[in-house]
Amino acid sequence: MSVKVLFIDYRKCVGCATCEMICSLVNEGVCTPSLSRIRVVRNEKNNYSVPITCAFCDKPPCAGVCPVTAIVKNRETGAVEVRNDLCIGCRQCVQACPFGHMSFDVSKGVAFKCDLCGGDPECVKFCWTKAIQFIPLDMALDSKRRTVAERFLEESGVI
Amino acid sequence: MYGYAGRLLEVDLSRNRISIRELAPEFARKHIGGIGFNAAVLYEELPAGIDPLSEDNMLVFGVGTMVGTPFPTAARTEVSAKSPMTGQFGTSNSGAFFGTQLKGSGFDALIIKGKAERPVYIYVDNGKAEILDASFLWGKDAWEAIDLLKSKHYGVEVALIGQAGENLVRFASIENGYYDGWGRTGLGAVMGSKRLKAVAVRGTQATKPYDVKGLLEISKECQELIKSSPFYIPFTKYGTMNAAVPYGRFGAMGTYNFSRGPLPDWEERAGRQVVEKYSSRHVACQSCIIACGHWVEVKEGKYSGLKIKDLEITPVASFGANLGLNMDAVIKATELCQRFGIDLVSAGSVIAFAVELLKKGIISREDIGYDLDWGDDEAVFQLLQDIVEKKGIGKILAEGTKRAADHFKGADKYAVHIKGLEIPMIDPRGRWSTWTLGMLTNIRGGDHLRCRNPIENLRYNENKHGYLKERFGFTEKAYDQLDMPADLKARAIDLENDTVDIAVMSRWAEDLINLFNSMGICIRPPVMHKIGPTVLARAYTVLTGMEITAEELMRAAERIWNLMKLFNIREGEEPGEIKFPRRFYEEKAGGEKLDEEKIQNVLEKYYEVRGWEMNTGKPKRETLERLGIYP
Repeated sequence: MSVKVLFIDYRKCVGCATCEMICSLVNEGVCTPSLSRIRVVRNEKNNYSVPITCAFCDKPPCAGVCPVTAIVKNRETGAVEVRNDLCIGCRQCVQACPFGHMSFDVSKGVAFKCDLCGGDPECVKFCWTKAIQFIPLDMALDSKRRTVAERFLEESGVI
Repeated sequence: MYGYAGRLLEVDLSRNRISIRELAPEFARKHIGGIGFNAAVLYEELPAGIDPLSEDNMLVFGVGTMVGTPFPTAARTEVSAKSPMTGQFGTSNSGAFFGTQLKGSGFDALIIKGKAERPVYIYVDNGKAEILDASFLWGKDAWEAIDLLKSKHYGVEVALIGQAGENLVRFASIENGYYDGWGRTGLGAVMGSKRLKAVAVRGTQATKPYDVKGLLEISKECQELIKSSPFYIPFTKYGTMNAAVPYGRFGAMGTYNFSRGPLPDWEERAGRQVVEKYSSRHVACQSCIIACGHWVEVKEGKYSGLKIKDLEITPVASFGANLGLNMDAVIKATELCQRFGIDLVSAGSVIAFAVELLKKGIISREDIGYDLDWGDDEAVFQLLQDIVEKKGIGKILAEGTKRAADHFKGADKYAVHIKGLEIPMIDPRGRWSTWTLGMLTNIRGGDHLRCRNPIENLRYNENKHGYLKERFGFTEKAYDQLDMPADLKARAIDLENDTVDIAVMSRWAEDLINLFNSMGICIRPPVMHKIGPTVLARAYTVLTGMEITAEELMRAAERIWNLMKLFNIREGEEPGEIKFPRRFYEEKAGGEKLDEEKIQNVLEKYYEVRGWEMNTGKPKRETLERLGIYP
């Protein structure tokens, strides 16, 4: 069985940022982008919106630098998880994350990140453009290849 | 307090003082939010008869209740003041991301009083506000000023004026970021008269709902409801441009200052295909699941390289139909209006008025200083700039059509406005409906956005029922699904005869839109069609923890409407003012001349339905008592 991944199609996002409101609501019981695991990078002037979330690295740098082993890769779901009870709030993981995904909750003094809602991500259910999908890796890759292939054909005038 | 930020920010520019008002739960429940807060504050605190461009005026930004949640389309903020155009209740609504930031900064509303000694801007950051020197911004267009503010203050959303507001052009707008705005009723001039260039806001505080699971569930339910509307897919693809061709076909697209029927090539100019020609991406406001905005790029011609959020029906009607500009130029016009910070409806309309006066020989080429004609984009843009800078005839036109008409003998016949506010596209001579009556009964004057049948039919345009009714044109299933109290629905819609009672539906539609503008959700047709007071009452309850019924919500919306009406009456609104422009009764254009007597008849029916006096349109005492208003 292929592992499921959060697959983001950057061209589909229209910047509604519903995912941020949903994520903070589900995980923190309140609505604010600042406590959302997924974040939408928006440039209003040039109009682009890019959702950034965890890449679920196989060898997560955040886990690698954590001095208290509070971050673990869950081999079953593929998620990378922070254990709040162990986190000492040193922010080394925030520094180490290559994508700017690892966030920090100042009021609680702990790092926080996407844990795939335990295997059934809520943001995906609300993403009406299907910019965020939770699908098997091979399907995600096929879909990406297909788009690239179609672009090649379009550019060379075949279709 | 759940759901609300719980505080209102007050800034007094004359005294250089910032204060905070606590939001009382009873006040919140009675006025909901957004326009409701604005109406309550202005009715209570603004003395009658003040000069709208003096320090006595107040400007209120009211964030809708649902803003700062994932509830679909919850993005909207209402701005209100006494209007320099109408001298009555001025108000305008906009989405994008400003409201989310203002609420995230800890405030449900921002109340601005007084007048600064020199140009200033207000900076709000997570509960703290400062009045700062704006000399580096003054004179800059809106886009330049946003760039400067964003580079100075990390992560802010900006509401601001361009040069039009600084120069007190009466129909100046407040821009909401680069591409959105509170366009109508001249609120930018009010801001300019206060020497307030901008409000820059950043907030990272959370909205705390009473019932987390309930909010999650109702957000999902309403996403699905909106998607189930037949209007949904067309709106995700073409946005408001869906209406351009039908309204052209109806002969209801105001063309050449409303002097004629639609242009012969209107469908080529403004059909859905133009969206595909110019745009490949959509743009959403906060939490929206429609994303009706189009990211537009002009790829050839003299405006080549221009990129902007556009192809919305309002600029297309105002500059494409009313002035006859081609689509490249319409997109340029949108850019100019956004940068100058000027209402593109009134701007297009007042320039169309000038073109017609020139054609009719009421003004001369010398008065203008250059040739000016329908479709002449360069001259139109020159005149737009002259208006913004108040140069030459631009100084007169900057006062708006109604006041400008007083300067030229015989011009009144061509002045297209209601109560001093210019009318956007829809021409009641081509189509008579709930929507067109709503222009007449609109609190803010000549405008189409405060009353619309939630299930309006664009397939038919039959006026066989005279002025009292329009065709319904939907199935029994659509009727059953419409969220309206059963007895009222039966009075508003006659399924057997396939008709809608315009007076009854108008009142419902106005109150419903008022409710939307209070709760901060969008009036796009798929939302209006599917989201009614029953589901909104549940949404309000899960968010705030205050149990409320659909009836109580609609009563609040009606209360707000009546407060605004009382505001207008206090400012001297006369029943005789509630009238279409003269030429609508005298010329046919794309349809039929309007019948004044029959319209008066519908109006009186509407007054009756509202519980207002039939002859004067004043709310009756028992109506006000029912609504808990004691003037």
